[in-house]
Amino acid sequence: MTRTRRAAAFLGAVALLSAVATAPAAGQSLFDRLRQAASVARTLLPISTEKEIEIGRGIAATIAGRFPVSTDAGLTRYVNLVGLTVASQAPRGDITYRFAVLETPIVNAYAAPGGYIFITKGSLDLIRSEAELAGVLAHEVGHVNRRHVIEQIRKSDTMREVKNTLDLQGFVLDRVVGTGANALFTGLSRGDEMEADSLGLEYASSAGYDPGGLAAFIGRLDQHAGEGPVSEFFATHPKPNERVDRLNSIARREGLPGGVMLADRYRATVGH
Amino acid sequence: MTRAHNLARLLPALALLGSAAPGRAVAQRAQWTDVVYVPGRWSAGHIVAQADSLALMMRVDYFSAPPKWRAEIRRTTDGQTLGSPEILVGSGEQAVVVTQLGTTPLDQHALGRDPLVRALVVFDQAGRRKGLANGRITDRAADGKVARVVFRREIRNPSFDSALLDPGNRAGGRTLLASGIAAVGDQRSASVVATAGARGVDRVKTPGGDVPVRPDTMAVVRMEHFSVGSVALEEFLRAGGLGPYAAPGDSAGRRP
Repeated sequence: MTRTRRAAAFLGAVALLSAVATAPAAGQSLFDRLRQAASVARTLLPISTEKEIEIGRGIAATIAGRFPVSTDAGLTRYVNLVGLTVASQAPRGDITYRFAVLETPIVNAYAAPGGYIFITKGSLDLIRSEAELAGVLAHEVGHVNRRHVIEQIRKSDTMREVKNTLDLQGFVLDRVVGTGANALFTGLSRGDEMEADSLGLEYASSAGYDPGGLAAFIGRLDQHAGEGPVSEFFATHPKPNERVDRLNSIARREGLPGGVMLADRYRATVGH
Repeated sequence: MTRAHNLARLLPALALLGSAAPGRAVAQRAQWTDVVYVPGRWSAGHIVAQADSLALMMRVDYFSAPPKWRAEIRRTTDGQTLGSPEILVGSGEQAVVVTQLGTTPLDQHALGRDPLVRALVVFDQAGRRKGLANGRITDRAADGKVARVVFRREIRNPSFDSALLDPGNRAGGRTLLASGIAAVGDQRSASVVATAGARGVDRVKTPGGDVPVRPDTMAVVRMEHFSVGSVALEEFLRAGGLGPYAAPGDSAGRRP
């Protein structure tokens, strides 16, 4: 038995013990509790980086299937340069970050597990500086770093079929990919979004960008509330004013230094 | 109180202890990047003298958990591309060169005769970094002329496997960094592409309702093959005053 499988077995046993040992709810039989405990144990099944990347590739293909990926090499190169700049501040060294632009007026960005990050043309049209772009991409890098989509998958019903990670292939893998894609398109939890905001702020600032970039972009979105292209963003993220207040508060509390905005370089490259 | 209830109370406490213990160790860790330049400019694979110009020599990524540390050195021989990493693993001021075949003390290795590499051992006896955490470091020769310029940038909240600081570990020869500074390259196997490609038309949930989607695997392959190049990234950082070139602790809020 490998160390990973032993760890999974141990964690499962711990979950089983804790669930059975807790006081039973009214009317709940031992079998109900055992079933519940087994469910908890299943959610603790670890997903390796290799599997995370494999799942991420499938989700990325689904995203690229919903919106065409831009073939503008200059724009893709620029987004990759900004993305790699902020990603280099993130602690995970076990994945390669890749960035692409989606040809859609919808305003949003998506982070598939394993480092596949997308930003829409609609978002680029609203962004006014490289610091804002860096803030958005750094937020997405934060999602990848904390494995937010993978954690959503681990908690999902889809994982009921998965006894060990070797089962994550074929049709089961397809369903897992579908679960992840649905989570991305319908929105992650409020806690995940707030955590990604904090991490994005940290990565962009550490890279040398003005820490106000992400807040400036989110604040601008608020001015477009009710417009079609931003409706998905509003439906899948916490309220903009709340996020802006929180980001500004963190920046003040942490005493983040000022950085560069690079509005001219953004305009020269993206063309606004 | 029953034994089962006691167990239920004990488990979260154990979990808390388990999560708190690594936190103290992580706090001592450090990770930073040095980008090393020498006076001159690259010309046909050689550095030629040129006033007011710096030529990129190498990029070094450091990982430290005192007294142990690791340095991954990527050199350029043309100013355009960074090569595969040479790896030093050390404890305090002592260092070994890690290869796929084993380790050799730096003093007995050819790298040990390179003054630039010797200068990369920036640790004291306890394995703590000497010098700035962030910023520009200028080293001068005995005659006062600039010998090299280093741009250093520390990464917040480092996270890496301690086993990679151990030269005896099987993974010791593996490059720690898989992303960030290197060109965006393909790491996936063809079989994975085939698996994803087998997926047909899906329906995905969106805030506006379910929509049909045909997964575009080839778009992902193109994404994986897209490369910006490590030197292009360095130039991008330098031109924008970012990463190692950012002004440390600048609270003036530069907004060009």
